Amino acid sequence: MLSREEWLPLARKLDWDYSYVREDEVFPEVISGRPWLPHSEWKDWEESFKTSYREYVDNQYEKDMAVYAVRDAVGRIENAQKLALPWMNSLKVHAAALPLAEFTGVIGNLRGARFGRDSAWRTMATFGALDEYRHTQIPLLLFHELVKFDSQFDWAHKFYHTNNWFAVAARHFFDELTVGQNAIEFHIATNFVFETGFTNLQFVGLASLARESSDHMFERMVTSIQTDEARHAQIGHPVLATVMKHDPGYVQYLVDKWFWRNWRLFSILTGISIDYLTAVDQRPYSFKEFMEEWIIDQFLSSLDEFGLQKPWYWDLLMDELDIYHHMIYASAYSYRATLWFNFVIPGPAERKWLRQKYPKYWDDMDAVWEQVSERWRTVGPGPENEFAVHGTAMPTFCDLCQLPLSAGTPRKNTARVHIHEGRKYIFCSEPCQWIFSREPERYANHKDVVKRVLSGEAPAQLPDLLTEYFRLTPETWGKDVYHGNYEWLGARKTSAT
Amino acid sequence: MPIPLYGFLQGDTVGLLILADEGETVQSLARKLQDAGSLRVAFRDQVHLVYNDRAMDPALTVAQAGLQALDRFDVISA
Repeated sequence: MLSREEWLPLARKLDWDYSYVREDEVFPEVISGRPWLPHSEWKDWEESFKTSYREYVDNQYEKDMAVYAVRDAVGRIENAQKLALPWMNSLKVHAAALPLAEFTGVIGNLRGARFGRDSAWRTMATFGALDEYRHTQIPLLLFHELVKFDSQFDWAHKFYHTNNWFAVAARHFFDELTVGQNAIEFHIATNFVFETGFTNLQFVGLASLARESSDHMFERMVTSIQTDEARHAQIGHPVLATVMKHDPGYVQYLVDKWFWRNWRLFSILTGISIDYLTAVDQRPYSFKEFMEEWIIDQFLSSLDEFGLQKPWYWDLLMDELDIYHHMIYASAYSYRATLWFNFVIPGPAERKWLRQKYPKYWDDMDAVWEQVSERWRTVGPGPENEFAVHGTAMPTFCDLCQLPLSAGTPRKNTARVHIHEGRKYIFCSEPCQWIFSREPERYANHKDVVKRVLSGEAPAQLPDLLTEYFRLTPETWGKDVYHGNYEWLGARKTSAT
Repeated sequence: MPIPLYGFLQGDTVGLLILADEGETVQSLARKLQDAGSLRVAFRDQVHLVYNDRAMDPALTVAQAGLQALDRFDVISA
Protein backbone atom coordinates (compact mmCIF):
# COMPACT_ATOMS: atom_id res chain seq x y z
CA MET A 1 0.00 0.00 0.00
CA LEU A 2 1.35 3.42 -0.98
CA SER A 3 2.02 5.98 1.72
CA ARG A 4 0.37 9.43 1.54
CA GLU A 5 3.64 10.93 0.26
CA GLU A 6 3.75 8.30 -2.51
CA TRP A 7 0.18 8.39 -3.79
CA LEU A 8 -0.65 12.08 -3.48
CA PRO A 9 1.75 13.19 -6.25
CA LEU A 10 0.26 10.48 -8.51
CA ALA A 11 -3.31 11.44 -7.68
CA ARG A 12 -2.68 15.16 -8.25
CA LYS A 13 -1.49 14.63 -11.80
CA LEU A 14 -4.09 12.67 -13.74
CA ASP A 15 -3.90 14.31 -17.15
CA TRP A 16 -3.91 12.28 -20.33
CA ASP A 17 -3.62 12.72 -24.10
CA TYR A 18 -6.88 12.90 -26.05
CA SER A 19 -7.33 10.60 -29.01
CA TYR A 20 -10.73 11.38 -30.50
CA VAL A 21 -11.11 15.10 -29.69
CA ARG A 22 -8.68 17.98 -29.87
CA GLU A 23 -7.37 19.54 -26.68
CA ASP A 24 -8.79 22.92 -27.65
CA GLU A 25 -12.23 21.32 -27.90
CA VAL A 26 -11.94 19.92 -24.37
CA PHE A 27 -10.64 23.26 -23.10
CA PRO A 28 -12.02 25.96 -25.42
CA GLU A 29 -10.36 29.34 -25.07
CA VAL A 30 -13.66 31.11 -24.50
CA ILE A 31 -14.18 29.29 -21.22
CA SER A 32 -10.69 28.09 -20.23
CA GLY A 33 -9.26 31.54 -20.92
CA ARG A 34 -6.47 33.11 -22.88
CA PRO A 35 -3.76 32.77 -23.90
CA TRP A 36 -4.67 29.29 -25.05
CA LEU A 37 -1.64 27.08 -24.46
CA PRO A 38 -1.16 23.33 -24.92
CA HIS A 39 -1.08 21.27 -21.73
CA SER A 40 2.68 20.91 -22.03
CA GLU A 41 2.88 24.55 -20.88
CA TRP A 42 0.75 23.82 -17.81
CA LYS A 43 2.09 20.44 -16.74
CA ASP A 44 4.35 21.90 -14.05
CA TRP A 45 1.44 23.75 -12.40
CA GLU A 46 1.93 23.26 -8.67
CA GLU A 47 0.11 24.43 -5.58
CA SER A 48 2.27 25.28 -2.59
CA PHE A 49 -0.02 23.64 0.00
CA LYS A 50 -1.09 20.13 -0.98
CA THR A 51 -4.00 18.30 0.52
CA SER A 52 -6.06 15.19 -0.12
CA TYR A 53 -9.84 14.94 -0.08
CA ARG A 54 -9.81 12.99 3.18
CA GLU A 55 -7.59 15.57 4.86
CA TYR A 56 -9.78 18.34 3.51
CA VAL A 57 -12.98 16.79 4.92
CA ASP A 58 -11.39 16.10 8.31
CA ASN A 59 -10.13 19.69 8.62
CA GLN A 60 -13.37 21.27 7.50
CA TYR A 61 -15.40 19.11 9.86
CA GLU A 62 -13.32 20.27 12.81
CA LYS A 63 -13.60 23.90 11.74
CA ASP A 64 -17.37 23.63 11.35
CA MET A 65 -17.70 22.12 14.82
CA ALA A 66 -15.73 25.05 16.23
CA VAL A 67 -18.09 27.52 14.51
CA TYR A 68 -21.15 25.69 15.86
CA ALA A 69 -19.65 25.85 19.34
CA VAL A 70 -19.12 29.59 19.02
CA ARG A 71 -22.69 30.05 17.78
CA ASP A 72 -24.02 28.11 20.75
CA ALA A 73 -21.87 30.11 23.15
CA VAL A 74 -22.12 33.68 21.81
CA GLY A 75 -24.34 33.70 18.70
CA ARG A 76 -27.74 34.14 20.29
CA ILE A 77 -30.04 37.13 20.17
CA GLU A 78 -29.14 38.11 23.71
CA ASN A 79 -25.48 38.33 22.63
CA ALA A 80 -26.37 40.51 19.65
CA GLN A 81 -28.43 42.78 21.87
CA LYS A 82 -25.29 43.68 23.82
CA LEU A 83 -23.48 45.01 20.74
CA ALA A 84 -23.18 48.75 20.12
CA LEU A 85 -25.80 49.94 17.62
CA PRO A 86 -23.34 51.34 15.05
CA TRP A 87 -21.37 48.08 15.03
CA MET A 88 -24.61 46.13 14.66
CA ASN A 89 -25.14 48.00 11.41
CA SER A 90 -21.64 47.22 10.22
CA LEU A 91 -22.64 43.62 10.79
CA LYS A 92 -25.72 44.08 8.57
CA VAL A 93 -23.58 45.47 5.76
CA HIS A 94 -21.37 42.39 5.75
CA ALA A 95 -24.24 39.98 6.44
CA ALA A 96 -25.76 41.09 3.14
CA ALA A 97 -22.65 41.52 1.02
CA LEU A 98 -20.86 38.29 1.98
CA PRO A 99 -22.91 35.06 1.74
CA LEU A 100 -24.26 35.04 -1.82
CA ALA A 101 -21.11 36.69 -3.15
CA GLU A 102 -19.33 33.63 -1.78
CA PHE A 103 -21.87 31.49 -3.61
CA THR A 104 -20.84 33.09 -6.90
CA GLY A 105 -17.33 31.98 -5.95
CA VAL A 106 -18.63 28.41 -6.03
CA ILE A 107 -19.57 28.89 -9.68
CA GLY A 108 -16.22 30.40 -10.59
CA ASN A 109 -14.31 27.65 -8.84
CA LEU A 110 -16.40 24.94 -10.48
CA ARG A 111 -15.50 26.45 -13.83
CA GLY A 112 -11.86 26.11 -12.80
CA ALA A 113 -12.57 22.57 -11.62
CA ARG A 114 -13.70 21.65 -15.15
CA PHE A 115 -11.81 24.02 -17.44
CA GLY A 116 -8.57 24.62 -15.50
CA ARG A 117 -5.69 23.43 -17.63
CA ASP A 118 -4.00 20.98 -15.27
CA SER A 119 -5.46 18.27 -13.04
CA ALA A 120 -3.80 19.64 -9.86
CA TRP A 121 -5.38 23.03 -10.62
CA ARG A 122 -8.76 21.38 -11.16
CA THR A 123 -8.52 19.48 -7.87
CA MET A 124 -7.64 22.61 -5.94
CA ALA A 125 -10.51 24.47 -7.59
CA THR A 126 -12.88 21.67 -6.49
CA PHE A 127 -11.79 22.27 -2.89
CA GLY A 128 -12.18 26.00 -3.52
CA ALA A 129 -15.80 25.45 -4.62
CA LEU A 130 -16.51 23.43 -1.47
CA ASP A 131 -14.92 26.21 0.60
CA GLU A 132 -17.18 28.81 -0.98
CA TYR A 133 -20.28 26.70 -0.26
CA ARG A 134 -19.17 26.74 3.34
CA HIS A 135 -18.69 30.52 3.25
CA THR A 136 -22.24 30.87 1.92
CA GLN A 137 -23.83 28.56 4.45
CA ILE A 138 -22.09 29.66 7.64
CA PRO A 139 -23.11 33.34 7.53
CA LEU A 140 -26.63 32.46 6.35
CA LEU A 141 -26.95 30.09 9.30
CA LEU A 142 -25.55 32.51 11.85
CA PHE A 143 -27.38 35.62 10.67
CA HIS A 144 -30.69 33.82 10.23
CA GLU A 145 -30.90 33.58 14.01
CA LEU A 146 -30.83 37.38 14.19
CA VAL A 147 -33.76 37.99 11.79
CA LYS A 148 -36.19 37.50 14.69
CA PHE A 149 -34.33 40.26 16.52
CA ASP A 150 -33.98 42.72 13.62
CA SER A 151 -35.60 42.24 10.20
CA GLN A 152 -32.78 44.12 8.46
CA PHE A 153 -30.75 40.92 8.93
CA ASP A 154 -33.11 39.30 6.43
CA TRP A 155 -31.01 41.05 3.80
CA ALA A 156 -28.31 38.43 4.38
CA HIS A 157 -30.29 36.31 1.94
CA LYS A 158 -32.40 38.94 0.21
CA PHE A 159 -29.77 41.49 -0.85
CA TYR A 160 -28.56 39.97 -4.13
CA HIS A 161 -32.12 39.15 -5.16
CA THR A 162 -33.09 42.82 -5.26
CA ASN A 163 -32.37 45.73 -7.56
CA ASN A 164 -31.19 47.84 -4.65
CA TRP A 165 -28.54 50.18 -6.08
CA PHE A 166 -25.77 48.67 -3.98
CA ALA A 167 -26.89 45.17 -4.97
CA VAL A 168 -26.77 46.25 -8.64
CA ALA A 169 -23.18 47.40 -8.10
CA ALA A 170 -22.13 44.30 -6.15
CA ARG A 171 -23.76 41.98 -8.71
CA HIS A 172 -22.06 43.84 -11.57
CA PHE A 173 -18.76 43.18 -9.81
CA PHE A 174 -19.30 39.54 -8.83
CA ASP A 175 -21.04 38.55 -12.07
CA GLU A 176 -17.93 39.61 -13.94
CA LEU A 177 -15.42 38.35 -11.37
CA THR A 178 -16.90 34.91 -10.83
CA VAL A 179 -20.15 33.96 -12.55
CA GLY A 180 -19.40 34.87 -16.16
CA GLN A 181 -15.66 34.55 -16.19
CA ASN A 182 -13.22 32.21 -17.95
CA ALA A 183 -10.98 30.06 -15.76
CA ILE A 184 -7.75 32.02 -16.25
CA GLU A 185 -9.20 35.47 -15.57
CA PHE A 186 -11.27 34.08 -12.69
CA HIS A 187 -8.26 32.61 -10.90
CA ILE A 188 -6.00 35.62 -11.45
CA ALA A 189 -8.70 38.14 -10.54
CA THR A 190 -10.25 36.19 -7.67
CA ASN A 191 -7.33 34.35 -6.12
CA PHE A 192 -4.45 36.73 -6.82
CA VAL A 193 -6.13 40.14 -6.60
CA PHE A 194 -9.36 39.67 -4.61
CA GLU A 195 -8.30 37.04 -2.10
CA THR A 196 -4.57 37.61 -1.78
CA GLY A 197 -4.88 41.37 -2.14
CA PHE A 198 -8.12 42.41 -0.52
CA THR A 199 -9.73 39.83 1.70
CA ASN A 200 -7.29 40.72 4.46
CA LEU A 201 -9.47 43.77 4.81
CA GLN A 202 -12.45 41.57 5.49
CA PHE A 203 -10.90 38.74 7.37
CA VAL A 204 -8.04 40.32 9.29
CA GLY A 205 -9.24 43.90 9.62
CA LEU A 206 -12.84 43.09 10.44
CA ALA A 207 -11.94 40.23 12.77
CA SER A 208 -9.84 42.68 14.74
CA LEU A 209 -12.65 45.27 14.82
CA ALA A 210 -15.15 42.59 15.84
CA ARG A 211 -12.90 41.58 18.73
CA GLU A 212 -12.61 45.22 19.84
CA SER A 213 -16.41 45.51 19.60
CA SER A 214 -16.88 42.30 21.67
CA ASP A 215 -18.57 40.60 18.69
CA HIS A 216 -16.99 37.19 19.16
CA MET A 217 -19.35 35.35 16.84
CA PHE A 218 -18.43 37.50 13.84
CA GLU A 219 -14.75 37.42 14.80
CA ARG A 220 -14.67 33.61 14.88
CA MET A 221 -16.76 33.29 11.73
CA VAL A 222 -14.48 35.42 9.56
CA THR A 223 -11.37 33.89 11.08
CA SER A 224 -12.66 30.43 10.20
CA ILE A 225 -13.40 31.55 6.64
CA GLN A 226 -9.96 33.12 6.32
CA THR A 227 -8.25 29.76 6.90
CA ASP A 228 -9.96 28.45 3.74
CA GLU A 229 -9.21 31.60 1.78
CA ALA A 230 -5.52 31.36 2.58
CA ARG A 231 -5.46 27.84 1.09
CA HIS A 232 -7.42 28.30 -2.10
CA ALA A 233 -6.00 31.78 -2.81
CA GLN A 234 -2.78 29.99 -3.78
CA ILE A 235 -4.40 28.72 -7.00
CA GLY A 236 -3.92 32.14 -8.57
CA HIS A 237 -0.14 32.31 -8.26
CA PRO A 238 0.84 29.40 -10.54
CA VAL A 239 -1.86 30.41 -13.05
CA LEU A 240 -0.49 33.94 -13.14
CA ALA A 241 3.13 32.72 -13.34
CA THR A 242 2.39 30.59 -16.41
CA VAL A 243 0.46 33.33 -18.25
CA MET A 244 3.25 35.81 -17.41
CA LYS A 245 5.67 33.74 -19.49
CA HIS A 246 3.49 34.11 -22.57
CA ASP A 247 1.57 37.38 -22.27
CA PRO A 248 2.79 39.66 -19.45
CA GLY A 249 0.87 42.63 -20.88
CA TYR A 250 -2.40 40.76 -20.47
CA VAL A 251 -1.56 39.86 -16.85
CA GLN A 252 -0.70 43.49 -16.12
CA TYR A 253 -4.06 44.54 -17.58
CA LEU A 254 -5.97 42.00 -15.49
CA VAL A 255 -4.18 43.04 -12.31
CA ASP A 256 -4.70 46.76 -12.99
CA LYS A 257 -8.37 46.29 -13.81
CA TRP A 258 -9.21 44.03 -10.89
CA PHE A 259 -7.24 45.92 -8.28
CA TRP A 260 -9.27 49.01 -9.15
CA ARG A 261 -12.59 47.18 -9.18
CA ASN A 262 -11.79 45.58 -5.81
CA TRP A 263 -10.69 48.91 -4.38
CA ARG A 264 -14.03 50.50 -5.28
CA LEU A 265 -16.05 47.79 -3.50
CA PHE A 266 -13.88 47.17 -0.45
CA SER A 267 -13.26 50.84 0.30
CA ILE A 268 -16.99 51.09 0.89
CA LEU A 269 -17.58 47.77 2.64
CA THR A 270 -14.64 48.05 4.99
CA GLY A 271 -13.93 51.77 4.97
CA ILE A 272 -17.24 52.77 6.50
CA SER A 273 -17.12 49.90 9.00
CA ILE A 274 -13.75 50.98 10.35
CA ASP A 275 -14.08 54.75 10.23
CA TYR A 276 -17.78 55.27 11.01
CA LEU A 277 -19.58 52.17 12.35
CA THR A 278 -17.04 51.19 15.00
CA ALA A 279 -16.99 53.20 18.22
CA VAL A 280 -14.13 55.68 18.05
CA ASP A 281 -12.43 54.32 21.18
CA GLN A 282 -12.52 50.81 19.71
CA ARG A 283 -10.83 51.60 16.39
CA PRO A 284 -7.33 50.15 16.50
CA TYR A 285 -6.43 51.98 13.27
CA SER A 286 -8.01 54.04 10.52
CA PHE A 287 -9.08 52.48 7.24
CA LYS A 288 -6.22 54.28 5.51
CA GLU A 289 -3.67 52.98 8.02
CA PHE A 290 -4.97 49.44 7.60
CA MET A 291 -4.86 49.72 3.80
CA GLU A 292 -1.29 50.96 3.90
CA GLU A 293 -0.06 48.25 6.24
CA TRP A 294 -2.05 45.20 5.11
CA ILE A 295 -3.00 45.81 1.52
CA ILE A 296 -0.69 48.27 -0.21
CA ASP A 297 2.65 46.93 1.08
CA GLN A 298 1.64 43.32 0.55
CA PHE A 299 0.25 43.95 -2.92
CA LEU A 300 3.36 45.81 -4.05
CA SER A 301 5.48 42.96 -2.76
CA SER A 302 3.35 40.44 -4.74
CA LEU A 303 3.68 42.56 -7.89
CA ASP A 304 7.43 42.67 -7.45
CA GLU A 305 7.59 38.90 -7.00
CA PHE A 306 6.05 38.37 -10.44
CA GLY A 307 7.80 41.21 -12.28
CA LEU A 308 4.62 43.29 -12.54
CA GLN A 309 4.43 47.09 -12.40
CA LYS A 310 2.30 49.23 -10.11
CA PRO A 311 -1.06 49.99 -11.76
CA TRP A 312 -0.87 53.17 -13.87
CA TYR A 313 -3.42 54.92 -11.61
CA TRP A 314 -1.36 54.36 -8.44
CA ASP A 315 -1.02 58.05 -7.46
CA LEU A 316 -4.75 58.54 -7.86
CA LEU A 317 -5.49 55.51 -5.70
CA MET A 318 -3.15 56.77 -2.98
CA ASP A 319 -5.03 60.08 -3.03
CA GLU A 320 -8.41 58.29 -2.82
CA LEU A 321 -7.31 56.60 0.41
CA ASP A 322 -7.90 59.99 2.03
CA ILE A 323 -11.33 60.76 0.68
CA TYR A 324 -13.35 58.25 -1.39
CA HIS A 325 -15.08 56.29 1.39
CA HIS A 326 -15.79 59.54 3.24
CA MET A 327 -17.58 60.91 0.16
CA ILE A 328 -19.55 57.69 -0.16
CA TYR A 329 -20.54 57.54 3.51
CA ALA A 330 -21.80 61.14 3.62
CA SER A 331 -23.75 60.53 0.39
CA ALA A 332 -25.17 57.26 1.66
CA TYR A 333 -26.16 58.86 4.98
CA SER A 334 -28.19 61.43 3.12
CA TYR A 335 -29.85 58.66 1.07
CA ARG A 336 -29.97 56.13 3.92
CA ALA A 337 -33.55 55.03 3.20
CA THR A 338 -32.25 53.47 -0.04
CA LEU A 339 -30.19 50.95 1.98
CA TRP A 340 -30.96 48.14 4.45
CA PHE A 341 -28.89 49.26 7.44
CA ASN A 342 -28.76 52.28 9.72
CA PHE A 343 -26.26 55.10 9.96
CA VAL A 344 -24.72 57.45 12.50
CA ILE A 345 -23.51 61.02 12.15
CA PRO A 346 -19.92 61.45 13.31
CA GLY A 347 -20.04 63.60 16.43
CA PRO A 348 -17.35 65.93 17.77
CA ALA A 349 -15.11 63.14 19.11
CA GLU A 350 -15.38 61.18 15.84
CA ARG A 351 -14.74 64.25 13.74
CA LYS A 352 -11.69 65.15 15.79
CA TRP A 353 -10.36 61.63 15.23
CA LEU A 354 -11.18 61.75 11.50
CA ARG A 355 -9.42 65.11 11.17
CA GLN A 356 -6.30 63.65 12.77
CA LYS A 357 -6.35 60.58 10.53
CA TYR A 358 -7.42 62.34 7.32
CA PRO A 359 -6.09 65.92 7.49
CA LYS A 360 -5.79 66.35 3.72
CA TYR A 361 -9.49 66.81 2.89
CA TRP A 362 -11.27 66.76 6.23
CA ASP A 363 -12.14 70.48 6.18
CA ASP A 364 -14.41 69.84 3.20
CA MET A 365 -16.02 66.78 4.76
CA ASP A 366 -16.50 68.57 8.08
CA ALA A 367 -18.49 71.28 6.30
CA VAL A 368 -20.83 68.59 4.91
CA TRP A 369 -21.44 67.05 8.35
CA GLU A 370 -21.98 70.48 9.86
CA GLN A 371 -24.66 71.17 7.27
CA VAL A 372 -26.39 67.81 7.87
CA SER A 373 -26.24 68.39 11.63
CA GLU A 374 -27.77 71.83 11.16
CA ARG A 375 -30.72 70.28 9.36
CA TRP A 376 -31.36 67.95 12.34
CA ARG A 377 -31.13 70.94 14.67
CA THR A 378 -33.68 72.79 12.57
CA VAL A 379 -36.25 70.01 12.28
CA GLY A 380 -35.58 68.36 15.63
CA PRO A 381 -34.93 64.70 16.39
CA GLY A 382 -37.40 61.89 15.95
CA PRO A 383 -38.30 59.11 13.52
CA GLU A 384 -41.01 61.33 12.01
CA ASN A 385 -38.29 63.73 10.80
CA GLU A 386 -36.08 61.18 9.05
CA PHE A 387 -37.17 62.29 5.57
CA ALA A 388 -36.69 65.96 6.43
CA VAL A 389 -32.99 65.10 6.75
CA HIS A 390 -32.80 63.05 3.58
CA GLY A 391 -31.90 63.70 -0.05
CA THR A 392 -34.74 64.15 -2.50
CA ALA A 393 -33.03 64.54 -5.89
CA MET A 394 -31.92 61.30 -7.52
CA PRO A 395 -28.24 60.51 -6.87
CA THR A 396 -26.25 59.40 -9.92
CA PHE A 397 -24.16 56.31 -10.64
CA CYS A 398 -21.03 55.30 -12.56
CA ASP A 399 -21.58 53.27 -15.73
CA LEU A 400 -18.69 50.96 -14.83
CA CYS A 401 -18.63 50.35 -11.07
CA GLN A 402 -22.36 51.25 -10.71
CA LEU A 403 -21.54 53.10 -7.49
CA PRO A 404 -22.50 56.73 -6.78
CA LEU A 405 -20.61 59.47 -8.62
CA SER A 406 -18.71 60.31 -5.44
CA ALA A 407 -15.09 60.25 -6.60
CA GLY A 408 -12.66 63.14 -6.43
CA THR A 409 -13.24 65.66 -3.66
CA PRO A 410 -16.13 67.90 -2.61
CA ARG A 411 -14.32 70.72 -4.39
CA LYS A 412 -13.87 68.81 -7.65
CA ASN A 413 -15.84 65.69 -8.50
CA THR A 414 -13.94 63.62 -11.10
CA ALA A 415 -16.98 62.25 -12.99
CA ARG A 416 -16.54 62.30 -16.77
CA VAL A 417 -18.97 61.91 -19.65
CA HIS A 418 -17.88 59.60 -22.48
CA ILE A 419 -19.59 58.88 -25.81
CA HIS A 420 -19.38 55.34 -27.17
CA GLU A 421 -21.11 54.45 -30.44
CA GLY A 422 -23.40 57.47 -30.13
CA ARG A 423 -24.49 56.72 -26.57
CA LYS A 424 -23.52 58.78 -23.52
CA TYR A 425 -21.96 57.14 -20.50
CA ILE A 426 -20.68 58.69 -17.30
CA PHE A 427 -17.86 57.35 -15.13
CA CYS A 428 -16.84 58.30 -11.61
CA SER A 429 -13.15 58.29 -12.41
CA GLU A 430 -10.48 57.87 -15.07
CA PRO A 431 -9.76 54.20 -14.19
CA CYS A 432 -13.45 53.26 -14.50
CA GLN A 433 -13.58 54.93 -17.94
CA TRP A 434 -10.33 53.16 -18.90
CA ILE A 435 -11.72 49.73 -17.95
CA PHE A 436 -14.87 50.40 -19.99
CA SER A 437 -12.85 51.54 -22.99
CA ARG A 438 -10.69 48.39 -22.96
CA GLU A 439 -13.71 46.07 -23.13
CA PRO A 440 -16.79 48.10 -24.16
CA GLU A 441 -18.54 45.02 -25.54
CA ARG A 442 -18.58 43.64 -21.99
CA TYR A 443 -20.09 46.70 -20.31
CA ALA A 444 -21.91 48.88 -22.86
CA ASN A 445 -25.37 47.34 -22.56
CA HIS A 446 -25.59 47.42 -18.77
CA LYS A 447 -27.84 50.21 -17.48
CA ASP A 448 -27.08 51.98 -14.21
CA VAL A 449 -30.01 52.84 -11.91
CA VAL A 450 -30.44 56.35 -13.35
CA LYS A 451 -30.69 54.99 -16.92
CA ARG A 452 -33.25 52.45 -15.71
CA VAL A 453 -35.35 55.24 -14.21
CA LEU A 454 -35.06 57.37 -17.37
CA SER A 455 -36.05 54.44 -19.59
CA GLY A 456 -39.06 53.62 -17.40
CA GLU A 457 -37.68 50.28 -16.17
CA ALA A 458 -37.54 51.58 -12.60
CA PRO A 459 -39.96 53.97 -10.86
CA ALA A 460 -38.99 57.63 -10.78
CA GLN A 461 -40.70 58.49 -7.49
CA LEU A 462 -38.59 57.79 -4.39
CA PRO A 463 -41.26 55.89 -2.38
CA ASP A 464 -41.94 53.56 -5.32
CA LEU A 465 -38.25 53.16 -6.06
CA LEU A 466 -37.60 52.15 -2.43
CA THR A 467 -40.42 49.66 -2.11
CA GLU A 468 -41.01 48.28 -5.61
CA TYR A 469 -37.51 48.30 -7.04
CA PHE A 470 -35.15 48.26 -4.06
CA ARG A 471 -37.52 45.89 -2.16
CA LEU A 472 -37.29 47.86 1.09
CA THR A 473 -40.09 48.49 3.57
CA PRO A 474 -40.58 51.19 6.20
CA GLU A 475 -39.34 48.66 8.73
CA THR A 476 -36.17 47.73 6.86
CA TRP A 477 -35.04 50.86 5.06
CA GLY A 478 -32.08 52.66 6.56
CA LYS A 479 -32.47 55.32 9.23
CA ASP A 480 -30.32 57.35 11.55
CA VAL A 481 -29.55 54.99 14.45
CA TYR A 482 -30.57 57.71 16.90
CA HIS A 483 -33.11 59.52 14.65
CA GLY A 484 -31.04 62.66 15.10
CA ASN A 485 -31.19 62.49 18.87
CA TYR A 486 -27.53 63.20 19.64
CA GLU A 487 -26.66 64.94 22.85
CA TRP A 488 -23.95 66.97 21.11
CA LEU A 489 -26.46 68.30 18.57
CA GLY A 490 -27.89 70.48 21.30
CA ALA A 491 -24.66 72.45 21.33
CA ARG A 492 -24.68 75.08 18.62
CA LYS A 493 -21.11 74.63 17.40
CA THR A 494 -20.03 71.03 16.79
CA SER A 495 -17.04 71.38 14.50
CA ALA A 496 -14.12 69.57 16.09
CA THR A 497 -10.86 71.23 15.18
CA MET B 1 -39.84 67.38 -22.34
CA PRO B 2 -37.43 67.78 -19.35
CA ILE B 3 -33.74 67.33 -20.06
CA PRO B 4 -31.94 65.00 -17.59
CA LEU B 5 -28.55 66.40 -16.61
CA TYR B 6 -25.75 65.41 -14.27
CA GLY B 7 -25.28 68.25 -11.80
CA PHE B 8 -22.21 68.65 -9.57
CA LEU B 9 -22.43 71.21 -6.80
CA GLN B 10 -19.09 72.37 -5.42
CA GLY B 11 -18.79 71.18 -1.83
CA ASP B 12 -21.09 68.20 -2.35
CA THR B 13 -20.19 64.52 -2.11
CA VAL B 14 -22.29 63.11 -4.96
CA GLY B 15 -23.54 64.10 -8.42
CA LEU B 16 -27.30 64.60 -8.73
CA LEU B 17 -29.78 64.04 -11.53
CA ILE B 18 -31.40 67.37 -12.37
CA LEU B 19 -34.30 67.70 -14.77
CA ALA B 20 -34.06 70.97 -16.70
CA ASP B 21 -36.53 72.71 -18.98
CA GLU B 22 -34.94 73.99 -22.16
CA GLY B 23 -36.55 77.39 -21.65
CA GLU B 24 -35.39 77.94 -18.07
CA THR B 25 -32.38 80.12 -17.41
CA VAL B 26 -28.93 78.98 -16.44
CA GLN B 27 -29.42 80.90 -13.19
CA SER B 28 -32.57 78.91 -12.45
CA LEU B 29 -30.80 75.64 -13.22
CA ALA B 30 -27.96 76.56 -10.85
CA ARG B 31 -30.49 77.33 -8.14
CA LYS B 32 -32.22 74.01 -8.76
CA LEU B 33 -28.96 72.15 -8.12
CA GLN B 34 -28.24 74.21 -5.01
CA ASP B 35 -31.68 73.31 -3.64
CA ALA B 36 -31.15 69.64 -4.46
CA GLY B 37 -27.81 69.58 -2.60
CA SER B 38 -28.86 71.80 0.30
CA LEU B 39 -28.87 68.96 2.82
CA ARG B 40 -25.09 68.75 2.47
CA VAL B 41 -23.97 72.13 1.11
CA ALA B 42 -24.82 75.56 2.51
CA PHE B 43 -26.47 77.96 0.06
CA ARG B 44 -24.19 80.53 -1.61
CA ASP B 45 -25.45 83.67 -3.32
CA GLN B 46 -22.63 84.09 -5.79
CA VAL B 47 -22.17 81.06 -8.02
CA HIS B 48 -21.27 80.24 -11.62
CA LEU B 49 -22.70 77.45 -13.70
CA VAL B 50 -19.84 75.83 -15.63
CA TYR B 51 -20.44 73.75 -18.76
CA ASN B 52 -17.67 72.41 -21.00
CA ASP B 53 -15.11 74.30 -18.87
CA ARG B 54 -16.84 77.68 -19.47
CA ALA B 55 -18.84 79.79 -17.03
CA MET B 56 -22.26 80.33 -18.61
CA ASP B 57 -24.10 83.64 -18.77
CA PRO B 58 -26.84 83.25 -16.11
CA ALA B 59 -29.40 84.89 -18.39
CA LEU B 60 -29.04 82.29 -21.15
CA THR B 61 -31.64 79.57 -21.42
CA VAL B 62 -30.63 75.94 -21.06
CA ALA B 63 -31.16 75.50 -24.81
CA GLN B 64 -29.07 78.58 -25.64
CA ALA B 65 -26.29 77.35 -23.38
CA GLY B 66 -26.24 74.14 -25.46
CA LEU B 67 -26.90 71.72 -22.59
CA GLN B 68 -28.12 68.36 -23.86
CA ALA B 69 -29.45 65.23 -22.19
CA LEU B 70 -26.96 63.48 -19.89
CA ASP B 71 -24.40 66.27 -20.07
CA ARG B 72 -22.44 67.32 -16.99
CA PHE B 73 -22.62 70.78 -15.51
CA ASP B 74 -21.07 72.21 -12.35
CA VAL B 75 -22.15 74.95 -9.97
CA ILE B 76 -19.16 76.56 -8.30
CA SER B 77 -18.53 79.51 -6.03
CA ALA B 78 -18.03 82.77 -7.91
